[in-house]
Amino acid sequence: MKYQTQRIAQVYFTVALALFAIQVIGGLLAGWIYVAPNTLSELLPFNIVRMLHTNSLVVWLILGFMGAAYFLIPEEAEREIHSPMLAYIQLAILVLGTLGVVVTYVFNLFEGNWLLGKEGREFLEQPLWVKVGIVVAALIFLYNVTMTVLKGRKTAITNVLLLGLWGLALLFLFAFYNPHNLGLDKMYWWYVVHLWVEGVWELIMASILAYLMLKLTGVDREVVEKWLYVIVATALFSGILGTGHHYYWIGTPGYWQWIGSIFSSLEVIPFFGMMAFAFVMVWKGRRDHPNKAALLWSLGCATLAFFGAGVWGFLHTLHGVNYYTHGTQITAAHGHLAFFGAYVCLNLAIFTYAFPILKNRDPYNQVLNMASFWLMAGGMTFMTFVLTFAGTVQTHLQRVMGEGYMDTQDQIEVFYLMRFGAGLAVVIGALLFIYAIFVPRREVIEPGPVERERIEHDPDHVAAE
Amino acid sequence: MSDTARADASGTLPGDLMIWVLIVSELLVFGAALGGFMAVRTTDAAGFAAAQDHLDRTAGALNTIVLLTSGLFAALALRACEVGSRGRARLWLGAAAALGLVFLWVKGLEYAAKAAQGIGTETHPFFTFYYLVTGFHAAHVVAGIVILGLVSWRDNVANIENATAFWHMVDLVWVLIFPVIYLLR
Amino acid sequence: MRVWADNPLWRAWGGLMALGALTTLAAARGGQVAAPVLGAAILALAWAKARLILGRYLDLDRAPAWRRGFSGVIGAFLVLLYGIYLIPAV
Ligand code: HEM
Ligand code: HEM
Ligand SMILES: [Fe+2]
Repeated sequence: MKYQTQRIAQVYFTVALALFAIQVIGGLLAGWIYVAPNTLSELLPFNIVRMLHTNSLVVWLILGFMGAAYFLIPEEAEREIHSPMLAYIQLAILVLGTLGVVVTYVFNLFEGNWLLGKEGREFLEQPLWVKVGIVVAALIFLYNVTMTVLKGRKTAITNVLLLGLWGLALLFLFAFYNPHNLGLDKMYWWYVVHLWVEGVWELIMASILAYLMLKLTGVDREVVEKWLYVIVATALFSGILGTGHHYYWIGTPGYWQWIGSIFSSLEVIPFFGMMAFAFVMVWKGRRDHPNKAALLWSLGCATLAFFGAGVWGFLHTLHGVNYYTHGTQITAAHGHLAFFGAYVCLNLAIFTYAFPILKNRDPYNQVLNMASFWLMAGGMTFMTFVLTFAGTVQTHLQRVMGEGYMDTQDQIEVFYLMRFGAGLAVVIGALLFIYAIFVPRREVIEPGPVERERIEHDPDHVAAE
Repeated sequence: MSDTARADASGTLPGDLMIWVLIVSELLVFGAALGGFMAVRTTDAAGFAAAQDHLDRTAGALNTIVLLTSGLFAALALRACEVGSRGRARLWLGAAAALGLVFLWVKGLEYAAKAAQGIGTETHPFFTFYYLVTGFHAAHVVAGIVILGLVSWRDNVANIENATAFWHMVDLVWVLIFPVIYLLR
Repeated sequence: MRVWADNPLWRAWGGLMALGALTTLAAARGGQVAAPVLGAAILALAWAKARLILGRYLDLDRAPAWRRGFSGVIGAFLVLLYGIYLIPAV
C-alpha cells in the first residue's frame, strides 16, 4: 500500500461484504418461498424479502465502487485522499440509512408516511429520508474524490471513473420524481435503473477493469487507455437511447420500439469490447502477477458480463421478442447473470486484488478464493439456464397459448426447485469467498517463472502491488 | 495541391480513432433502421407506396444537392487549413454550415407540409420510420453545424479533420436514406 | 476552370451531382420500368455515391484497405436491402 488513505477502502469493502452475505441469503430465502410459498408469509412476506435482496445488492455494489475509488484514486492521482474524516462520515451515513431501510422494511413501519414510509418502486423503495441521506453521502463522496483528483495526476482511469460516479449520483436524483401517471413514473424510474446499469455503471466497470488490467498484466498505460475510451464511447452511444427497450409497452409512442431495439442491440458492443480487452491484455501482458485469483475474477467478470448483459440482454431486447417475453422468468435470468457478471464479479475482483495489499501480506487462500469463484459462477450460470428454460416454457404457455398466470406457474415448479439448488451453491460460494478474504492461511500458489525472476532481481518488490 | 502529396499509403485511417468509432456506430444505427424499414415494408408494400406518395421527392433531391455541396466545402476547408490558409478554411467552413442550415430549412418545410396534412408518427408505419430516420439525421445536421462552428473557432488541422469527417458521415448517411425512403417503391 | 477539373474534390462533387441527376432520372421513370430493375438502379447509384464520399470526402483513398472494407460492407448491406425489397413482389 503506497498511500495511507487507501486503508479507507478496507472499511468500505468489509461493510459491502457483510451486505453481500445478507443479499444472497435473502435471495435464497426468496427462492425457497417460490418452492414453499407459505414460508414466513406472515412474518416476512415475499415482497419484503425480495426488496431486501435487491436493495442490499445495489447498496453493497455502490459501497464497493466507492471503496474501489478510495483504493485506486490515491495511486492514480499520486495523492492522499483529500479528507479521510469525510470518507468515514459518509460511510456512517450510508450504514445508518441501510439499517433504517432494513428496520422499516422488516417491521413494515410508517406505512404511507411521506417521509418515513417506504416508497413503492422496485429498487427505489427506500423511505424519502434515506434517499436524502444517500444524496448527502454521495455529495460528500464526490467532493472528496474530486478534490483528490483535481489536486493530483489526472489519468484516463480516474477521469472515466469520476464521470461514472458523478453520473451515478446525478441520475439518482430522478428517484425523487414520482409522477402520478404510471407511464411517466416508469419512464423516470428507468432513468435511474437502466441508465445506471447500462450507462454510468459501465463506465465505472470499464475504469476499474482497466486499473486491474494495468496492475495485473503490466500492459502499457497507453494501450489500456485507448481501449478504455473506445469502450466508454460505445457504451454511452448505445446505452442512452437504449433505454427505449423499456418503453415498448408502457404507453409511450410507437417509435420507441425502433429506437429501443436498434440502440439496445448495439449495447452488446461495449460488453464485447470489455471481454476482448481483458483477454487481449492478458495475452499481451508481460507480468506474471502472483494474485491469480484477482485475475480469474477479472476475466470472469468480463466474460460473464458479456454473456449476462450482452447475450442474455440481446435475447429479449428486440421488441418483436420482448412482446412475448416481457416480465417473464427470462427477465429474471438476464437480471441475475448481468448483475452478477458485470458488477458482483467486478467488486469481488477488486476486493481480491486489494485486500492483500491493504493488509500488507501476500495473497493467501488463493485456492479457496478461486474455488469460490467457480462455485458462484457455476451456480449463477446454472440458475440462468434454469430460469431461461422456465421463462421459455412460461412464455409459450402464458403468452402464446394464453393460459392463466398461476396455471403456468404450477407447471414450471420443477425449475424453481433447481433454481434453489443453484442458489445454494452461490450462497456457499459467497461465504467461502468471505472466509478466504478475511481468514489468512498459507500461501498456496507459487509465483511463476517471470515473477520469480522479478523477485530475485528486484529486492524492493512487493508480492502484490 | 496534388493528391499524391497527401497519399502516404500508410493505410491508417485519417483522423482520430474515436471519430471512426462514431462513424461506424452511426452507420450501424441508420443501417439497422433502414433494414427495419424494408422489413416492415414487406408486410404492406402497397400501403408504403401510397404513403411514400405524400413525400416531396423534389425537396429530397434538392437537399441531396445542398448537402453534398456542403460536404465539398467542408473538404475544401480541411485542405485550406492543411496548407495554412486559416482565413480560407474558415470561409469554407462557414459556407458548409450555411448550406447545412439550408438543408434544415427545406426539411422544416417538408415537416410542416406533413403536419398540415395531419400526418404524424403514428399515422402509418411508413411515417414512423420517415420521421424517425430523417429526424434523427436532421439532428445530426444540427450537431454538425455546431461542430463546424466550434472548429472554425478552434481551427487546427486535427480538429477540422474530425469535424469534417463527422459532416461527411452525415452526407454518407443521407445518400443511403434518401433513395431507400423517398424513391424505392 | 482547369484547376477545378484537376482537383479531386471538385471532380468527386461533379461525380456526385451526375449520380444524383441519374437517380432523379431513374426515379422519374417509375411507371415505365419494372420495379426490380428500377430498384437495382437506384440502389446501385446510392452505392456509387457512397463510394465517392468514402474515397474522396472522407479521404479513405489514403487508406485503400479501409475504403475497400467500408464500401464492401455498404455494398453488401444494399444487396441485403434489395433482397428484402424484392420479397413483396414475389
Ligand atoms: C450475487 C448474486 C445475485 C444477484 C446479483 C441477484 C440479483 C437479483 C436481481 C437483480 C433481482 C431482480 C430481478 C428482476 O427484477 O427481474 C433478483 C431477484 C430475485 N433473486 Fe437474486 N440475485 C443473486 C442471488 C440470488 C440467489 C443466490 C438466489 C437464490 C435462489 C436468488 C433468488 C432471487 C429471487 C427468487 C428473486 C425474485 C424473482 C422474482 O420476483 O420473481 N438470487 N435477484
Ligand atoms: C450489466 C448490465 C445489465 C444489467 C445489470 C441488467 C439488469 C437488468 C434487470 C435487473 C432487468 C429487470 C428490470 C425489471 O424489470 O425489474 C433488466 C431488464 C432488461 N434488460 Fe437488462 N441489464 C443489463 C444489460 C442489458 C443489455 C446490454 C441489454 C440488451 C442488449 C438488456 C436488455 C434488457 C431488457 C430488454 C430488459 C427488459 C425485460 C422485460 O421486458 O421484462 N440489458 N435488465
Ligand atoms: Fe435496460
